[in-house]
Amino acid sequence: MSRIDEILNLVKHVQPFPKVVQRVMEMLDNPETNVKDLAEVIQYDQVITANVLKICNASYFGLPRKVSSLNEALVIVGHNTLKDIIVTSSSARFYKGAVGEGYKLEQGELWKHSVAVGILAKHMVKHIKEVDPGAAYTVGLLHDIGKRFLSTFVADDFKQIMIKVVRDQCSFVEAEKELLGVSHAELGGMILKKWEFPEEMQLAVLQHHDPDALKKGPLTALVSLSNALVISMGIGVGADGLATKMQGEGLKRFGITPMELDLCMANLLGDMEQAQELFHI
Amino acid sequence: MKLVVGISDMKVSNQADDVLITYSLGSCIGVVIWDPVAKVGGLLHYMLPDSSLDKEKAEAKPFMFADSGIPLLFKEAYKFGGAKNRLIVKVVGGSQIMDNAGIFNIGKRNHAVLRKMFWKNNIMIAKEDVGGTGNRTVSLEIGTGITRLKVSGRGEFEL
Repeated sequence: MSRIDEILNLVKHVQPFPKVVQRVMEMLDNPETNVKDLAEVIQYDQVITANVLKICNASYFGLPRKVSSLNEALVIVGHNTLKDIIVTSSSARFYKGAVGEGYKLEQGELWKHSVAVGILAKHMVKHIKEVDPGAAYTVGLLHDIGKRFLSTFVADDFKQIMIKVVRDQCSFVEAEKELLGVSHAELGGMILKKWEFPEEMQLAVLQHHDPDALKKGPLTALVSLSNALVISMGIGVGADGLATKMQGEGLKRFGITPMELDLCMANLLGDMEQAQELFHI
Repeated sequence: MKLVVGISDMKVSNQADDVLITYSLGSCIGVVIWDPVAKVGGLLHYMLPDSSLDKEKAEAKPFMFADSGIPLLFKEAYKFGGAKNRLIVKVVGGSQIMDNAGIFNIGKRNHAVLRKMFWKNNIMIAKEDVGGTGNRTVSLEIGTGITRLKVSGRGEFEL
């Protein structure tokens, strides 16, 4: 089997994304859904159930006593937090272990980076209004999922990739594509397709390193912008460093000023502290 | 002891066996200072140039910004017996993503503010490794003043 086939084969056999996510999202969009119905579906996923209870009992909600029933917890956390908990717990399982090793990322760093992009993307919806905050958060969490599968192949060709980046001044994804035949962004797009996420979300993952990302669909623009800022801040950044291309003039379309970008970064640090408390990142 | 300096954080020490380290400087800047006589060293990791962006935040997290963080780094070193005329100053970080339009030039802005502040206050920079697209990790040994820098694509070396 050629190496590219070997890589693509990994995608073919990727473990499915928890089905409960789509089911719960649909239920939450239906105003007639009640807590009992939700609990009925959620209780079969032990990780999500445990996380709902854990987060509900975190100091953030300041409850006077410990909550131990899922029904009660669902009433307390509310729909938006529940959506976040479900997507976060379902995605986290794909980032366990040394998933970013080939990129010289310590354990947990790829996940931390992904959560940071998710949170920032959700907040930046106020600047790029056509995007649903839930979709922004989910794509933020999953935009680098391709790295998990490309990591060992990047490790094999690490020297050549770095030489190409330094010598030819190309971006890390361009070097990945040339030396491995596929980039982590392309691989991520394929994985989201396999998981049957909406096409707009597949595209946003696929295009998140496209230099013209800011001129593309609003979700693509939003996620690639959030990623660029999180990379600039150095959160969960590996050997690829800041070697990514982005045509900044595309920002004009959204009327976002450099000062607003600075503010988003300043606010993200505090939001990350809160997420760390809630999700134990 | 290894003391980790986070994003928007600062640490100063006069314990000879302490090592100050900050990981993953992207567009942020790391300022390393060391006094060879008093054997006092400090490391600041700031993220943005100007605290006027958000006064409240600057009060709560002064090390987030160059203009509020840098003076505090020096003042803290003076408290431990450091003297301005002896401090060896090294500056690293300030990378940026590849954008021809310069919209994402946070690194450049971070560096410009520091140069201006140092020039005004007669502070010389002994060593500098700034810009490009690499990701940097920097550490300072308090006992010896040895500053080690790791840059993606360039390996690890003494600065």
